[in-house]
Amino acid sequence: MSVLNRLDKKQLTAFIPGTIIDVKVKVGQQVKQGETLVILDAMKMHNRILSQFNTTVKEINVKSGDRVHKGFVMVVLD
Amino acid sequence: MPLKSKIEELKKRKEEVLQGGGEQANAKQAAMGKLTARERVIALLDEDSFHEYDLFVEHEARDFGMDSKVLHGDGVVIGTGTVYGAPVAVFAQDFTVAGGSLGMMHARKITKIMDYALRMRIPLIGINDSGGARIQEGVNSLAGYGEIFWRNTLSSGIIPQISVILGPCAGGAVYSPALTDFVFVVDKISKMFITGPEVIKSVLGEEISQEDLGGARVHAEITGNAHFFAESEIECFEQIKKLITYIPWNNSRKARRFEPKEPKPEYNIDNIVPNDPKQPYDVRDVIKALADDSDFFEIQELWAANIVIGFGRLNGETVGFVANQPLVMAGVLDVDSSDKAARFIRYCDAFNIPLCTLVDLPGYLPGIDQEYAGVIRHGAKLLYAYSEASVPKMTVILRKAYGGGYIAMSSRHLRSDFVFAWPGAEIAVMGPEGAANIIFRKEITEAANPDEMRRKKVEEYKEKFANPYVAASKGYIDTVIEPKETRKLLLHALEVSSTKIADRPAKKHGIPPF
Repeated sequence: MSVLNRLDKKQLTAFIPGTIIDVKVKVGQQVKQGETLVILDAMKMHNRILSQFNTTVKEINVKSGDRVHKGFVMVVLD
Repeated sequence: MPLKSKIEELKKRKEEVLQGGGEQANAKQAAMGKLTARERVIALLDEDSFHEYDLFVEHEARDFGMDSKVLHGDGVVIGTGTVYGAPVAVFAQDFTVAGGSLGMMHARKITKIMDYALRMRIPLIGINDSGGARIQEGVNSLAGYGEIFWRNTLSSGIIPQISVILGPCAGGAVYSPALTDFVFVVDKISKMFITGPEVIKSVLGEEISQEDLGGARVHAEITGNAHFFAESEIECFEQIKKLITYIPWNNSRKARRFEPKEPKPEYNIDNIVPNDPKQPYDVRDVIKALADDSDFFEIQELWAANIVIGFGRLNGETVGFVANQPLVMAGVLDVDSSDKAARFIRYCDAFNIPLCTLVDLPGYLPGIDQEYAGVIRHGAKLLYAYSEASVPKMTVILRKAYGGGYIAMSSRHLRSDFVFAWPGAEIAVMGPEGAANIIFRKEITEAANPDEMRRKKVEEYKEKFANPYVAASKGYIDTVIEPKETRKLLLHALEVSSTKIADRPAKKHGIPPF
């Protein structure tokens, strides 16, 4: 992931391989800063993947039960 | 000449110098959203406390037409003042004068105030806003930087050194801030890089803006070079003033003691950490439930957020908190979080600030990139820093403490003075799933129903080992406590360790895994 993507935080990627246990939002939905988008079970934790700003959900590339690899883009925000 | 006229002349001379680069240059500085050097110093220090020195210093450059140029104060302001009554030495580069470029006399003013700060054992605050070396002065400029770096290193661990980046700070100039204890940046104003966009473009053909290459957010979130990020210069000065209240003037003193205050009732320590070890929470709430007035001053908040560091107070005394953050990347240790915590631990140790470590982590982050990035040597920094630290060390194991992570996070074995565990603590060589798979491999693979057998064995392991009592039975932890008893015990621990003596064999210095 390029530095610029890391700064704008529009692409939410898996920090480590894991299993999606919940997708809390839909494409087109408005989300608030700090809102949970996806829950990723990895490293013995139900990790909450949060939106870092107020926006709408542009893409969702996962569903409950999916195994994701490291760096996989789970959600794209507008 | 009568005295009155002499005083008039002094006033005139002063007035002339205090204009800095003149009206036009000052207007340009304001148009960039920046205060001038003197405005900054006055905003930062207590009212009427600033005294400026070396106003009348002039440069000695003779080449390239420099002999006819007047550069007021040679582009830097130096002096002393107070912050909440604490004495500080200050330098502030003046971008309105020759772009704040560093020539020989400019550097001499900076090194003079640095020498003064070290001799008087008072904190040094450096405000950086400079185009870099003054090219016309050639190697004298380079010598100036070298002299500054040498003094930064000499003063390190003796007086607090604070760098404030309020403009460009490029090339060799970046190494002075990097050698100091805390670096402050302001959004859209700070720019730090070794080689700027033009060099990158000409050598590599890559295009990038100054902001994307070395802006405030880059250093606060990605590189870890900055410790504090602010939206404005005034907010930045408030952060610096607050920091000063937590740290001592020098390494032979303790930080100022404040009136003790109980934590705020909205932080109820019984309700923060979920019982289910898979549920995340914000460990900063635990710190706020423990610290005086629930006040926590976080450092490097935006970088390597899987570990939390910062200052709070217990019974009025400054304490350095280090805590795994289950909310970010499950609270794992990795290259950056180890580096971040290790440096903070060494800071606290150098300045007589006791350490309080809160533990809840699954272990180290696995991965090829982590191994290739040198997680072994970076992770070792944390072990080194905790082992080396001789200030009072208190550890509270909140929940998970597995494997190497357990050892690294201020364990008894690295000479923590007090190790407490909550009843939900799981102190074990590894997580139950992994451990059961290894220990009972044969039983699991040979079972009629391996999955069921695995589940059974994981439960068996959890029951037997995922608790604090095995470690307690060996004396590796001192006691198992209820969450609500934690603050009382920490206060007691601080009290009984105030006269701590930790003998170490004499040596010139160790070789930490830098």
